[in-house]
Amino acid sequence: MAEKKPTGTVLVAGAGISGIKAAIELAETGYQVLLTDASTQVGGILAKLDYQFPSDHCGMCRMLPMVGREYSSEYCMRKSLYHENIEILPFTEIAGIEGDGGNYKVELKRRARYVNPVVCNELGKCIDACPVEVEDEFNHGLTMRKAIYKPIPHNVPQMLIIDKQACTECGECVNVCSTGAINLGAEDELETREVHSIILASGVKLYNTKEFEDAKSYAVSPDVVTSLAFERMLSGTGTYQHGVIKRPSDGKPAKKIAWIQCMGSRNRRQNRDYCSSVCCMFALKEAVLAKDKGGPDIETTIFYMDMRTFGKSFQQYKENAVEEHGVKLVRCRVQEIVRQPDGSLQIRYFDPLTNEFFFEYYDVVVLSTGQVPFEDHKKWAELTGTALSPQNLLATEPYSKVRLAGKQGMFMCGSLMGLTDISESMSSGIAAAGEATSFLSGLDVDKRIGYTTPEPKTSDRGKPKVAVLVCKCGELAGAEGLDTKLLESELNMLNGVGAVHIVESMCSDEGQEEALEVLKNSGCNRLLIGACQPYMYRSQLKDIARKAGFNSSLVQVFDFLGISRRGIHEDDKLSWTRRAIKEIKADIAMMKEKPALHVQSQPINDTALVVGGGISGMHSALSLANRGVPVHIVEKSSELGGFAGNNITATIDGLAPVEMAKDMKLKVFENKKITVHLNAEVEKTEGTLGAFDSKIVSSENGENTYLHHGAAIMATGGHEGATDEYGYGQADNIMTQFEFKKALEQGDVDLSEAEDVVMIQCVGSREKDKRQYCSRICCMWAMANALKIKEKNPDTRVFILYRDIMTYGFLEQYYTRARLAGVIFVSYELDSKPEVEIVDGKPVIKFTESVLNAPVELSPDYLLLSTGVDPEESNANLASTFKVELTKDGFFQEADSKWRPVEFNHIGTFLAGVAHSPMPLPDAIMQAEAAAQKTFTYLSGGEVQTARMTSSVKDALCVRCQRCIVVCPFEARSYNEMENIIEVDAAACQGCGMCAVACRNNAAEVSGWSDRQLMSVIDEKLSDDFELSTTK
Amino acid sequence: MSKYIQLAYTKGELNTQLSELFASMLENKAVDAILAPMTQPKKGVMQTLVTSKDNVKEIDPFAPVMPVNSAKIASSLTTSPSGKKIAMVLRSCEVRALVELVKLKQADLDDVVLIGIDCLGRYENTDFLKFQAKEGTSESFLENAMAGKTEGDGFDVAGACKVCEYPVAPNVDINLCAIGSGSGSLFIEALTEKGEEVLSAAGAKFVNGPSGRQDAVGKIAKERSEARNALFESYRSETGSFDALDDKLAACINCYNCRVACPVCYCKECVFVTDTFRHKGEQFIGWADNKGSLRMPTDTSFYHLTRITHMAAFCVGCGQCTSACPNDIDVMPIFRTSAQKIQDRFEYLAGRSVDEPQPLSVFDSDELMEVTGQVK
Repeated sequence: MAEKKPTGTVLVAGAGISGIKAAIELAETGYQVLLTDASTQVGGILAKLDYQFPSDHCGMCRMLPMVGREYSSEYCMRKSLYHENIEILPFTEIAGIEGDGGNYKVELKRRARYVNPVVCNELGKCIDACPVEVEDEFNHGLTMRKAIYKPIPHNVPQMLIIDKQACTECGECVNVCSTGAINLGAEDELETREVHSIILASGVKLYNTKEFEDAKSYAVSPDVVTSLAFERMLSGTGTYQHGVIKRPSDGKPAKKIAWIQCMGSRNRRQNRDYCSSVCCMFALKEAVLAKDKGGPDIETTIFYMDMRTFGKSFQQYKENAVEEHGVKLVRCRVQEIVRQPDGSLQIRYFDPLTNEFFFEYYDVVVLSTGQVPFEDHKKWAELTGTALSPQNLLATEPYSKVRLAGKQGMFMCGSLMGLTDISESMSSGIAAAGEATSFLSGLDVDKRIGYTTPEPKTSDRGKPKVAVLVCKCGELAGAEGLDTKLLESELNMLNGVGAVHIVESMCSDEGQEEALEVLKNSGCNRLLIGACQPYMYRSQLKDIARKAGFNSSLVQVFDFLGISRRGIHEDDKLSWTRRAIKEIKADIAMMKEKPALHVQSQPINDTALVVGGGISGMHSALSLANRGVPVHIVEKSSELGGFAGNNITATIDGLAPVEMAKDMKLKVFENKKITVHLNAEVEKTEGTLGAFDSKIVSSENGENTYLHHGAAIMATGGHEGATDEYGYGQADNIMTQFEFKKALEQGDVDLSEAEDVVMIQCVGSREKDKRQYCSRICCMWAMANALKIKEKNPDTRVFILYRDIMTYGFLEQYYTRARLAGVIFVSYELDSKPEVEIVDGKPVIKFTESVLNAPVELSPDYLLLSTGVDPEESNANLASTFKVELTKDGFFQEADSKWRPVEFNHIGTFLAGVAHSPMPLPDAIMQAEAAAQKTFTYLSGGEVQTARMTSSVKDALCVRCQRCIVVCPFEARSYNEMENIIEVDAAACQGCGMCAVACRNNAAEVSGWSDRQLMSVIDEKLSDDFELSTTK
Repeated sequence: MSKYIQLAYTKGELNTQLSELFASMLENKAVDAILAPMTQPKKGVMQTLVTSKDNVKEIDPFAPVMPVNSAKIASSLTTSPSGKKIAMVLRSCEVRALVELVKLKQADLDDVVLIGIDCLGRYENTDFLKFQAKEGTSESFLENAMAGKTEGDGFDVAGACKVCEYPVAPNVDINLCAIGSGSGSLFIEALTEKGEEVLSAAGAKFVNGPSGRQDAVGKIAKERSEARNALFESYRSETGSFDALDDKLAACINCYNCRVACPVCYCKECVFVTDTFRHKGEQFIGWADNKGSLRMPTDTSFYHLTRITHMAAFCVGCGQCTSACPNDIDVMPIFRTSAQKIQDRFEYLAGRSVDEPQPLSVFDSDELMEVTGQVK
């Protein structure tokens, strides 16, 4: 008999957002994941951020899986995460890693929590009893906590923990704990696990005022806080209350708030010659939110050097912040904060716009503390036996940001990579998972997705009968107030209830066996379970339900303790019971008329279509083909390679795109799974995820090819922007940066006699009525060209006229180098742009030198214009036919700018590279890998499973007004003209219910959520057959 | 710029002159059919679809009665295109309701020539018969109404008409301008190219328009607006609570006449007659238990509240709901008052334009932030 293959298992070390994302991706694909985190809980830095720009809301739940959704939790990610394939181990350190590619033995140190999370029911009496108070690090010391505490206030279930350093071992907590969950003598445990691949996602440390000398010097008052601390001041679980942002020192409302940027970054003295990349944006966000939450009379000022709004939609966000929210921006680095006798904070600054010095006084000063990128790399290098790069980061393979060099099957993602933002962390998490799945597909391992207990194949034709199973929590404090006799008798009287059973304790094995027996013999087809820790045990309880033969959609688990207890005094036993009965009756009402919902499976064609044969497109294609997926690449020009692969021989980082593209082209043409269509475009596409029919038209011979495929990737790239400003086209020596670079490489430029070269940044960019966005790569290009010029002729004067220098992340070092090489940087504002006149066929440029405040006139030998990146015009037709959207700027609009960067709202199509927004090559490749992985997850399953709860159409009631189609955010509904009916694409439907809201007579309804059900729930809640006593 | 033709007529000959125009429209194939109010053999006036020039004599466009809001008829004629050009003689509220139906994909105006009539009000159906019995004619009605006298012997025009601020139909191709035309003449306005083509094809000669019409229309609109504001104030004060609204609806029996009569209530099958409202016996007993008794049928106020949320955004104030109620409930003010607030909220006016998207059919991430709680 063949030995069963082991299921592919991956260790993801670090459960911040990128680790979670990588884990979810792997789980969706069918691999097992061991997700560990050295801290007490999962969530990383994002657990402290209630809001992210640009929506200024939280969007974390958008990380949740789309494939096999029901094997995962489907509720707020800030509460917790659950997936059948993911084992989560918080408070666990990686003590040792041995082995290599495919065979790793990992030693885990499971640190003692002293509270058993399985048994703890969160009543919190222990917290009340604890005599020790210390600073709460979750709120950065703004609030206090006990030695026994809940690490993250909004987690459900809570996993209490004891801070042994603060604990006095008085034992009061043990005395009041009714479940015996506390063990003060618990010890760290060591455990060895075998995994096939490892992803490092341990995140990043932030600069702070406790550890770092120069930040400490600013911390002259408790009202000087770090940016993360300020996030807590904006949060309801922090110190924000009743519309007031409180000053830490005295709790009074903070009305004047300042941000000081570049705290801990862009500082050569401290050996931090890098830019933290995210601080400009989060300072803007905090300033916008401060006003919204604290009141319109709040004044916000950001002191900065460059406003680095280089990402997609960042520039628009900044303009909105300034114009709509009155955020004041002052370009000045602040040297010190002086605390005044009255407690206010004095900042002296120079405003370059008015050329004056000012003194201003603030209630709160926020230090925009940056990322410190090197912290864990040495430790990981030692643990994993990998090398460090010259930059002291873990060395990665060339062109890859996630693949560790020299180690098979080891990857990294997230902010550990160094100076990333949320959307890059997401892309990298997916990319790392993609690399891991590629690696695992070469090993002899299996995939597994599904429940341990399979879904029963019931044919539910009987009358709806609900079984109610209530857990008494074993006579514990929580259930003391429960009059189980009354509960049983009341429920048994209800029409539609087939069985009522009280179990002592569902968390015990005996309790579960008892429950299983009772349920098997209940003769019921619907099940309601009242338990104390529904989130924690939901999967186990549903497992029992499945074993007993219940359809998953007809099983409801509800928080018996929590709901019933709210607002009712502990001693009011009768009210407690009555409230419980009312809640149960409402749930029963909902379930009685709920039909059994089944997952539909639609076959999925396993071919992928990649639109665009540039480096991103080729990378996605190769990544998929190497995993066995047939791919068709459609490229509208006559060559593969795209803009970078055909034109850019070297980047500032020493990458060689043209060479890389040559290599990739060979691999693409050699690969039997890839078919290339050159001189071709996709004219039209019909269908949906798993079953697209696309018409590919050749511009060469007008021939049409019809392709049936399962998914598509948009990798249409972009090209250098055009301009007619600054005399472009009127003189030979006025060129774009790219044209100059090419000319320089080809030897067409002679700099030996050149006196002056002037470069103008942001030409036609970051301006209303022109390109409104920052093209991200132009400053990098300018530095490269400037350094090249200085190399060729150190005597040539190079001027760079800029609005903000966008050398984010590690690119900052090139800015430093340029300055050290003598490049002269002159800033200009939009209302005082440089002027260019053509005199005798040559450009003469006039601009104002901002420091001297004097006009300068030059006749440069070369005038170079940084014109940015434009999207392809052909995107419009593609967007329309694939039913996806474009941004106002003409790039593709992804489903969520942070949490779903390579997907669209309408599933089945994915996005990679410059088609998304201008970006450097390694980022484009990372996105291409991520897009390939997302595609692979769908295609590799062989079938696409719809959600259980989808929308439908009742033809007889439908009057074809098509409002449901108009309002659907996922393009899941369409009008079939031939048959004159509205159709629903069940795979695309997310069950959001917008159609049901728009449809007036329920011709559109979401299965399992009919108006009848909801009205009966409302009825139950409003019925006053009992009087409730609500005295406290 | 509008173009005008002038129809001169001697007393009692208005309809004869108009029917000649209609006949030549059909004869010259300017249109294939005309939908117009026509005196019926057995008393009363009903919309009739005429295809032959020999049958136009009984057309009576200005008859002060509206048995049904013709937007519904227009809808049934155009939901699937017939390929035939139809001219439709409609008053203001009918046109405005039709505009809303077009946006709901329940009607199509491509092959339609809209002929609006100036409307000074309509009598309820039975009152119109009384009016006819007392020798009332369209001409006499127009003459009296222009002088502000619409009252008959114990009856007057519908309440909805008294507060209607749109005596002139908007969005039409041709308009029959009773207001400001002076006695003995009727100006017919061609507002669009389509309208001009139809009138030219019917052999019309264009002249200058009537002076003073704008002022006359403005005066009427102002009076009506004031009456409307007075209605809003008084009705809102009378229905300040749910109980007060319940009182107004006390006689409602869920016959759903108002729904059938309403031109913008467009569902094929109203949710109230679907399974959603087929309650079970035990539910009724449960509700009765709550307060000790339960008035049947149930869901009467609920029905009206639902209709407000479903269609008040499209209400054009035609008043058919009040006309249709067998128990004399004045339904119209419920909808006009809530419609005003709802439409204002969305800066929307029902019937204003075919190109104006209806509320809740477009999504703007920046709207209603005070409701959603989103940061701007």
